[in-house]
Amino acid sequence: MTRSNAGSLADLQRAFQDYVLASQPAFTAQVRDTSKADRITLLNVYREGYALRLIEVLESDFPGVRAMASPEDFDHAARAYIAAHPSRHPSVRWFGKAFADFLAAAAPYDETPAAAEMARFEWALGEAFDSVDVEPLRAEAVMTVPPEAWETIAFAPLPSLRRLAFTHDVPPSWQRREEVEPGALGVAALGTTVPWMIWRPERMSNFRSLEADEAVMLDAMVEGRPFPALCEALLPHVGEDQAAARAAGLLRSWVEEGLIASFSH
Amino acid sequence: MEYTGGMENVGFGLGLRHEHYEEILAAPGKVEWFEALSENYMIAGGMPLYWLDTFRRDYPMALHGVSLSIGSIDPLDEDYLKDLATLIDRVEPMWVSDHLCFTGLRGINLHDLLPLPYTEEALDHVAERVMRVQDRLRRRLVLENVSSYVTYAASELTEWEFIAQLCQRADCEMLLDVNNIYVSAFNHEFDPKDFLRGIPRERVRQFHLAGHTNNGTHIVDTHDHPIVGGVWDLYAEAVRLFPGVPTMIERDANIPPYGELLAELDVARGIAERVMRAPAHEAAE
Repeated sequence: MTRSNAGSLADLQRAFQDYVLASQPAFTAQVRDTSKADRITLLNVYREGYALRLIEVLESDFPGVRAMASPEDFDHAARAYIAAHPSRHPSVRWFGKAFADFLAAAAPYDETPAAAEMARFEWALGEAFDSVDVEPLRAEAVMTVPPEAWETIAFAPLPSLRRLAFTHDVPPSWQRREEVEPGALGVAALGTTVPWMIWRPERMSNFRSLEADEAVMLDAMVEGRPFPALCEALLPHVGEDQAAARAAGLLRSWVEEGLIASFSH
Repeated sequence: MEYTGGMENVGFGLGLRHEHYEEILAAPGKVEWFEALSENYMIAGGMPLYWLDTFRRDYPMALHGVSLSIGSIDPLDEDYLKDLATLIDRVEPMWVSDHLCFTGLRGINLHDLLPLPYTEEALDHVAERVMRVQDRLRRRLVLENVSSYVTYAASELTEWEFIAQLCQRADCEMLLDVNNIYVSAFNHEFDPKDFLRGIPRERVRQFHLAGHTNNGTHIVDTHDHPIVGGVWDLYAEAVRLFPGVPTMIERDANIPPYGELLAELDVARGIAERVMRAPAHEAAE
């Protein structure tokens, strides 16, 4: 064949991608039928394969959402997400990053806020799973801090720490995800907002709910504020005379749970 | 710059898949090496890297990527290359491979291996990028032929002519996927042996074997079935033409127990042994 038939490499790639993403028919002129199959059948291997591959990624990363939704509803939500958020990362590992925000904002999924909360929980679990490995601080290291240093000391959490808040009973429901038929997982509304955290002290991730004052102090710690400021953050919840003792108690439990990475003063 | 490396025959391997981690630990030494999927381990920490390091202590490894997008008209992804270089430092792989294809453009990754048109323009473009990647990674790049489903009206060369010229111009190597040759030969109606005969012998670093799905009118490279007879026959021909090349089996879906893949790998061992023992006149037939 002659070069005059050839579109440029750039034109061909743009047309192929547009065909896969948006079914732009112009590209069909650039490919040939074979004696066994017409070009549309062959092109659809790429177009259908694209959607199916990414749906599978979402199914694997969001088993809780999948357990909440019927297969048809999940497929519908996945295809809408794929259309709205094409992958921009070399690894499918990151494809679902915006799925929770999408479910929270896009109709009709926004009518089921529990699904967005479930997606947010599952994504945070994934982030904790392969975050940077840091050995948690040992209790003995805190014992050696001189008394005067407590005026300026600040603690840093493990890189795996994720702070979440749910208005639905998400983590306990998630633990039942494999016990139910797809679409049958119920996630009850709580009528209030409950703070949670996820962290990975060694190779296995942990998660638990937080008391209201604990969540406030944890957030202050994550901001890098020194210990006296952490005590101050507790004041709306505990009396001034109890704040230091409550802060010290919470800090001790975080160290024991392997939540703290380091401190500086 | 030239990068050299010995073509050692390290034998028979499998793709490292998390479904098999415990079984590999329970049955050590059943394969000579593993091929790890680069993108699965281009992460900060946690269990995947723990397992990778665990198996790397006991087995040589090759790294195999899917997102280099060497043929794309987008600029090379420097962040990707940086992460890949970090993983290479960690694993110290025998070689690093990816696919002769493009995976998307305008920053979008379709997570598919889209074929290139076999044109002089594409050859110029890919050869230049391969050389830049090789300079960045300070090693020869090993590129795999992909299964493809469409034939471009624009192509001026056969796939094997394109590959042979690319290896020569960019001084890179090939991962010959025998199943992909079989699939593309069926889909594009060429003789798969013509493909094998067109590849320069000294450029073949590794063989892939895999299963596929035959739809009658076309075959799709699904890696979800055992290897079929026609692919085994073509593998025998590949071993005849390229003796002593390391071989591995890829399985990415419908993954069976480790033992089943070891048995399938034994079939490959048997074929290679039989071909290598055959008298020279028979081998030349």
